Amino acid sequence: MQNFGVLRRQVVSAVAIAMLASTWAGAAFGFQEAPQLKALVDAGSLPPVEERLPTNPLVLTPLESVGSYGGTWRTATFGGGDSEIERTIGYSRLVRWNFEWTEVIPDIAESVEVNADATEYVFTLRAGTRWSDGEPFTADDLVFWNENVLRNTEITPSPPAWLMAGGEPVKVEDLGDNKVAFKFAAPNGLFLMNMATVRGADILAGAPAHYLRQFHKEFNPDGIEALVKAAGATDWVQLFNNKVGFPGRWRDLGRPTLDPWVMSSPYSGTTQVVGERNPYYPKVDTEGNQLPYIDRITIDVMEDTQAIILKAISGDIDMQNRFIETTDARPVIVQNREKGGYDLFIARPAWSNALLITLNQTHKNPALRAVFSNKDFRIGLSHAINREELNQLIYAGQAKPYQAAPREGTALYDEQMATQYLEYNVDLANEYLDKAGIAERDAEGFRLGSDGKRITFAIDALTGSPIQVDALEMIQRYWRAVGIDMQPRPAERSLIFARLQTNDNDGLGWVGGGGYDFLGLLDPKWYFPHEQESSFATAWGLYYQNPNDPNAEEPSPAAKKQMDLYRQVQEAPTVEAALALMKELLAITRDEFYIIGTNLEPDRVGIVKTNMHNVPDVIPSTSFYMMPGPAKPETFYYAQ
Amino acid sequence: MVGYIIRRLLYMIPMMAVISMVTFIIIQLPPGDFLTAMTARLASQSESIDPGVLAGLRERYGLDQPWVVQYWKWISGIVLRGDFGQSFDWNKPVSELIWGRLNLTMVVSVTTLIFVWAVAFPIGIYSAVRQYSVGDYFATFLGFLGLAIPNFLLALVLMFVSAQYFGQSVGGLFSPDYINAAWSWGKFADLMSHMWIPIIVLGTGSTAALIRIMRANLLDELNKPYVDMARARGLGEIRLLLKYPVRVALNPFISTVGWVLPHLVSGAVVVSIVLSLPTTGPLLLSALFAQDMYLAGSFILLMSMLTLIGTLISDLLLAWLDPRIRNG
Repeated sequence: MQNFGVLRRQVVSAVAIAMLASTWAGAAFGFQEAPQLKALVDAGSLPPVEERLPTNPLVLTPLESVGSYGGTWRTATFGGGDSEIERTIGYSRLVRWNFEWTEVIPDIAESVEVNADATEYVFTLRAGTRWSDGEPFTADDLVFWNENVLRNTEITPSPPAWLMAGGEPVKVEDLGDNKVAFKFAAPNGLFLMNMATVRGADILAGAPAHYLRQFHKEFNPDGIEALVKAAGATDWVQLFNNKVGFPGRWRDLGRPTLDPWVMSSPYSGTTQVVGERNPYYPKVDTEGNQLPYIDRITIDVMEDTQAIILKAISGDIDMQNRFIETTDARPVIVQNREKGGYDLFIARPAWSNALLITLNQTHKNPALRAVFSNKDFRIGLSHAINREELNQLIYAGQAKPYQAAPREGTALYDEQMATQYLEYNVDLANEYLDKAGIAERDAEGFRLGSDGKRITFAIDALTGSPIQVDALEMIQRYWRAVGIDMQPRPAERSLIFARLQTNDNDGLGWVGGGGYDFLGLLDPKWYFPHEQESSFATAWGLYYQNPNDPNAEEPSPAAKKQMDLYRQVQEAPTVEAALALMKELLAITRDEFYIIGTNLEPDRVGIVKTNMHNVPDVIPSTSFYMMPGPAKPETFYYAQ
Repeated sequence: MVGYIIRRLLYMIPMMAVISMVTFIIIQLPPGDFLTAMTARLASQSESIDPGVLAGLRERYGLDQPWVVQYWKWISGIVLRGDFGQSFDWNKPVSELIWGRLNLTMVVSVTTLIFVWAVAFPIGIYSAVRQYSVGDYFATFLGFLGLAIPNFLLALVLMFVSAQYFGQSVGGLFSPDYINAAWSWGKFADLMSHMWIPIIVLGTGSTAALIRIMRANLLDELNKPYVDMARARGLGEIRLLLKYPVRVALNPFISTVGWVLPHLVSGAVVVSIVLSLPTTGPLLLSALFAQDMYLAGSFILLMSMLTLIGTLISDLLLAWLDPRIRNG
């Protein structure tokens, strides 16, 4: 299997992604297909495989070997709006991540060219690509999505930011010859990267014009009312959104897709989702076998993670990492390998830190604001944490002391940023805290703030993350030793978010993001005040999103500089340019030391059936990567 | 009697209005709204939602309006059109969601109820008649054990046992092969093979309680003069027992029928979650977590209504059962 050393950052320009796998070596032998489809062709109910595939289909190179057809891939998910179904069945877009997560590569589109200022993206589509119902997929479909879904103000009152630039939503033009141009009013350098994430699925979901026209008022003015009534929707807009939005679109069995499997049991929110092989899936392996290899995929919808773990160890799950990879589940997962008939693979967390601690520098209480925004205060607290002991007691020695910084081996890695102030030294900590102007203490030894009152604050953490709460309880002891009174406050997550929205948070204990380059570029909330979730300076984050927000506040000059830099990142025409700017931004993050990190998130394990092949040994794990989508589930297969 | 029933039904109308309003206020009490909850959920999966999209949704769902307006929108829909509104989280009509899950909930609850009664009545009667016998102590011991073990723990243990030793698929009411299958004998057998876990888990706690109530009530009755008199008139022991003291001892069961109806809908949320049962309980809980107010509100409203109807039914049953109440 593949050595994971490849996951080093070798970031290639997004411009150069054109023409990667264009010629197909096995053309002379013709295409092969699954036996069940062959039977349908022979019976005359399905056109021959040559007519179902594009003239020049995308060739995927299997990781280990060319596979054989058959089998069911069983997984499980959590009820509600979970994204598992998008990651396993639904990772199809015009362009996608490569497996190593180092570049964006063509997927449904054959190639893409970007102009010099990143305002125009020309996609070349593969002639002969068909939707899962057999209808052709053409430039018209993308134009339909653009004009009648994205730019229809009833369906999309405010388009998502990644499809906007210069205050205008993207405009799609049909250039003929299977070429479409996505034109922006201003540079939008992160467009392709965003498309490779969870966001990109929306484009193809809104594209099957031949199917969606009937649900669109403009195209079906007379029949729409009856359809709305039959579906029990409030109006046609809601009906339409249910066809194209997540997760509604996974409840619609009639929806044509370009995914490897087509849903045959809807995502009703209970029981089970089933996908059957898409007879028109436009990809083949190196020997001309139409993909996917696996016939069916089933996703059991569970209400409880313990039940998913139990399913896994009794062998009812074939390949999965989510919900069973938590540190506390690891021992049973590892112990039951033989009984469950599975091997392990590493699901490498893309986030940077197992627990980072933020202190709200824009706190409404002036005394707390004064100390929180004092860098010496934060340095002092950082030195007061015994990270090695935390690692041993909480993470079974699997972690390592680390600040909230990009992971080692990435392009954005900055050694100083990752390792500064890590040393556990109570004297040094006290020295820094004294320097922060809070040397005075009360009778119990707690330090006093500028208002003469004891400095006391709460750190919110998710009730659903007991490990983080445990860690915070240890940190509470470390900080008490240097005279700081911190209270861990486990809370339900929507309560935490309601506090963030109104800038009422003291501090937050959370997993750190931005471990990998693309994650840092696309979701920089822990590196500068980017949104309300940037809980080290909530009011500044709100300002960045909307300066008129009643809870927003004008940021510090350093944060303002970062905001300018990030706007430039968004406009950078190449990945290199974006990363260079991001490095500049991160240098400020390092100097400001906004967030106290504790330990690097330890590797996690997923399971894969012993007879399932082409599954990588190590896969980056995050929703931004769409784990396991880029690992090419359509090439997974079972040994007979 | 008819006048009494009509009067009772009329009282229910203002009661329901008050309940619906209180329900709605309580659901709105926690800070934030559905979209806050959604953002939070996405963030905990390290996903994020576009602020622009969020603003659009807030407007679309009417979350930017005061609660009175939202309440009116909801309640007028129910009263005027029988429309319980749309669930934000599911993008589906609330009624569709609730009725979809109600059937299996009823199956599980009614079966459990029958199991509980079938087990508890004979044991309760036996315990009372043979007070302080070995059998009584044994039944009492088992009863307390059932009462003491937390349901969710028992559920986890039984699930583990069934997976480990019987090779059954974990969670839910069906094996994966049957989940989406049409009804057949195979599916029915599969349902039955999965039903025993929820029935035992849900049943143990209430069985114990019922045994104790039955025992205590019956002991009160057994020493009363009318029992001696019936016995003196030569009635067979079993016939006597069932015809008089047991009938009187049944009173508390009948008067709690009112609680059975809402329990059928909301019953045993925690157990349903642990066992991943496709019943209404987990749906209500997730609706509350997601602050999906129309769904949660409709649920609670439905349960309140069932409580009111159930209370009425138990009053009528009591009147039928016990002449003293009828004449009172």
